[in-house]
Amino acid sequence: MASDTMTAPPLVDETKPVRHLLAGVVFLVLAVAVRAAVSLVGIGESATVAFDRTLTDFSWTLPSDPVVAFLNLVVVGLAIWMIVGLPQRWFKIATAAAVTAVVLSLLIWNYSQPGTVFRAESILAGALFLSMPYLFGAFSGVVCERSGVINIGIEGQFLMGAFTGVLVANITGNVYAGMVGAMLAGSLSTMLLALLATKYQVNQVVVGVILNLLALGFTSFMYDQLKKAEGLNSAYSVKTITWGPLTDIPILGPVLFQQKVFVYVGIAMVAVVWFLLYRTRWGLRTRAVGEHPAAADSMGVNVNRLRFWNVTVAGLLSGFGGAWFTIANSLAFGKNMTAGLGFVALAVMIVGRWNPLGVLAGALIFGFTTQVARDLDAAGASIVPGEFLQMLPYAVTLVVVAGLIGRAKAPAADGVPYNPGDK
Amino acid sequence: MRLELKGLTKKFGSFTADDDIDLVVEPGQIHAVLGENGAGKSTLMNMLYGILQPTSGEILIDGEPVDFSDPGEAIAAGIGMVHQHFKLVGPFSVADNVQLGREHTRFAGVLSAGAARRAVRDVSEQYGLHLDPDAICEDLPVGVQQRVEIVKALSGPKTELLILDEPTAVLTPAEITELLQIMRNLAEGGTSILFISHKLKEVQAVADTITVIRRGKVVAELEPTASESEMASAMVGRAVSLQVDKSAAEPGEPRLEVTDLTVVTDAGVKALDGLELTVHAGEIVGLAGVEGNGQTELARSILGLLKPDAGHIAIDGEDVHGRNPARRIKAGLGYIPEDRGRDGLVAEFSVAENLVLNQYRDAPFASSGVVNASAVDRRAVDSIAEFDIRTQSPDESASSLSGGNQQKVIIAREFSRPRRFLVAAQPTRGVDVGATQFIHSRLVAERDTGTGILLISSELDEIYALADRIAVIYNGRIVGEVDPDTPREVIGRLMVGGRLDDETDTADDEADSGPEAAAVVNDAEVETETETDVETSTETDEDANGGDR
Repeated sequence: MASDTMTAPPLVDETKPVRHLLAGVVFLVLAVAVRAAVSLVGIGESATVAFDRTLTDFSWTLPSDPVVAFLNLVVVGLAIWMIVGLPQRWFKIATAAAVTAVVLSLLIWNYSQPGTVFRAESILAGALFLSMPYLFGAFSGVVCERSGVINIGIEGQFLMGAFTGVLVANITGNVYAGMVGAMLAGSLSTMLLALLATKYQVNQVVVGVILNLLALGFTSFMYDQLKKAEGLNSAYSVKTITWGPLTDIPILGPVLFQQKVFVYVGIAMVAVVWFLLYRTRWGLRTRAVGEHPAAADSMGVNVNRLRFWNVTVAGLLSGFGGAWFTIANSLAFGKNMTAGLGFVALAVMIVGRWNPLGVLAGALIFGFTTQVARDLDAAGASIVPGEFLQMLPYAVTLVVVAGLIGRAKAPAADGVPYNPGDK
Repeated sequence: MRLELKGLTKKFGSFTADDDIDLVVEPGQIHAVLGENGAGKSTLMNMLYGILQPTSGEILIDGEPVDFSDPGEAIAAGIGMVHQHFKLVGPFSVADNVQLGREHTRFAGVLSAGAARRAVRDVSEQYGLHLDPDAICEDLPVGVQQRVEIVKALSGPKTELLILDEPTAVLTPAEITELLQIMRNLAEGGTSILFISHKLKEVQAVADTITVIRRGKVVAELEPTASESEMASAMVGRAVSLQVDKSAAEPGEPRLEVTDLTVVTDAGVKALDGLELTVHAGEIVGLAGVEGNGQTELARSILGLLKPDAGHIAIDGEDVHGRNPARRIKAGLGYIPEDRGRDGLVAEFSVAENLVLNQYRDAPFASSGVVNASAVDRRAVDSIAEFDIRTQSPDESASSLSGGNQQKVIIAREFSRPRRFLVAAQPTRGVDVGATQFIHSRLVAERDTGTGILLISSELDEIYALADRIAVIYNGRIVGEVDPDTPREVIGRLMVGGRLDDETDTADDEADSGPEAAAVVNDAEVETETETDVETSTETDEDANGGDR
């Protein structure tokens, strides 16, 4: 399009303070709401943080009421600073601090209930483990959308991966073969998307929706069939990898050195995807094809071929993420067991601004809130009903997308089919 | 490199875009290909660059026939192309844009940023095109972006032929001067240049030889000494008058008064910054300026599509604050939008329906909310005859018309009802010479009936041809109001933020681009005073339609 090359000369660099004002008001309301809720429902005397896996004798007790009150004041202070006006460069930091303070005060409030202990190591380790499906799904999305193809079929690829992983593991008796099977199943599913998106130039969102429904229908049908046969849908699991003495390091040990292979692959993928995208010829061309396919085409890059293969390979990632649901969790396949997490992975991709490092941060936020909600639910002592806690990640997404990072900008040619010879 | 085209033909179905084109570019020669929009210039260049494949005929490089199936092969053969619409990836650095498709790698496809940077520096030094390899392209001014494109084209393994497709469409006068100088330097260094344009003055100023194409055929080979009207006649196929006849304006009472108008964009940038402007009855005020300095926002604010953050707009003496576009139109506002694909026409509607878009609710076109089809048809038949709209029937969809005829539909619609004030934004963009002439004369006739007209145009020649008064917009403000006999370089200076009384600035500007370059503009200016011309379109028809695909 002509408009994107005709950029205006830089005009007056003056940012609207409206966003700051709005954020300030929102945080003020939040602070008041937290204060009101705490005084209405009441707060326990102290919250206990335990290092439950390494230093089992040690625990750390916080006087919950004063700490929550202090955090509340911090939020109020930051909110007022935003309202009266603060330099742009401080805005992000202040927002991050305010969000952290709100989340912390909610955590302390919840864990101040008698009988609850914030088992720091278990919760953080669980959070990292739970962030993996988001990470793999979002990476699949990043690779597709960076090359200009919208992949909202991640949910379907998860289902295909989860199902095929178990099936192949059962047939071969080898759990790693199951993982490879899951990857290939995910890839087959994106290959269909790639074909329809590049060769036939079908609307990619429609294709994605259809692929999701197709995967749901197919795996549910096959699940019913497999139930009749013996030993095709039994749970398979992978061992937890422990790194000897490293596991005894407080916090780090349980979180990083006592995890399943999925976590290590996931962490490695952050570095690998980042390096491939930003430091290699493939990455440069992929980003070019997603931003301005005509530019890439004019320099001899075959746009549709690159898109086809990128999308097909991205399916390996989301398929592997699918295997997490069954193999990593030592579960048999169940109908619709992915429960919409594929769509959450899309949100993670957007929160992470199509960047592997951002995706890691987003996935961790979602993993952490999910884990905390589960933990409090299990303790049965949650002040806030579990459903509200389950909402937390989505609320955080809204805050992050709306305030913290401004408008997330998708690759310019995301979802736009390319016809060679187009201008 | 010596390039020869022999009988090159391209057919799209039954339509022949290029028919038996013969052309020779000698080494170190600047060869201009001149033609109207839709004449087949771009198709020709796309064949040369491997984007399209010829139906028949051949391309010879240094006597050897070549056959490109994609741009990569053309690049490998030594052809570089600067596209009319830049092919730059906005968020990429200059170095990344230049290396795209022929990356500097260390091993296994790992990029070497240092080598890419060095390569850009080497090429830019070799040809005297200063560039910062680490600058992000979308932050660069258009003129610099074009330099990136040129460096990109020259960075091929052995680029010896450069194709420049309508390279001046988006440039300021100073940038154009600079570009022409760059072209001369390149040609002196032995690079052959194919220069595609429909701007006569530039072609005259820089070309060694000129080939004129009309409807896909070579119709003339001219020397650069040929006069502008000779070139224009060859392009259009009939004698063209480059003059607009108009008498002196007789301004009456104010029809548009804009006071302190401020519009802040979503990005928080002031697109209009306290703009003040008055247009009187019976005069054409030309709003000159580089695109993107607030023209679009001003036009949209006047129509009521944008809500200003501060300031007032009065049409015919009445403050129109808070009124929607329909009420403003009813009050006598006419509006020719700059982007006809987006704001001017409903592409899927018929010509007849498009012709009454601004009054379909009113008698005689509707009664009690029911459209009177025969009244609409009668109006369409009348307008099609009066405005010479080339359409097969009034029922044809607007999207099937050529850009020029689409523009005539809009003009016909706006001119076929009583109005007090008219905004004409880029009224001849993507319109051929004949239609341009027609539109210009209608605008002048309209003025003479006492309508106030605000002419917004990125083409200085159009402003000079029509305006009774010229206002220059820069950064959302009117930075100067001058008479139409003001020299072009003064306005050019205002357009880039210089001041009216700033003489030292000129000296500097001219020194930058060299005395020879500065002379070009002056040469070209001599005969432009009240002359309209063929340069009035900046974009091809295909592109103007592209927006709604």
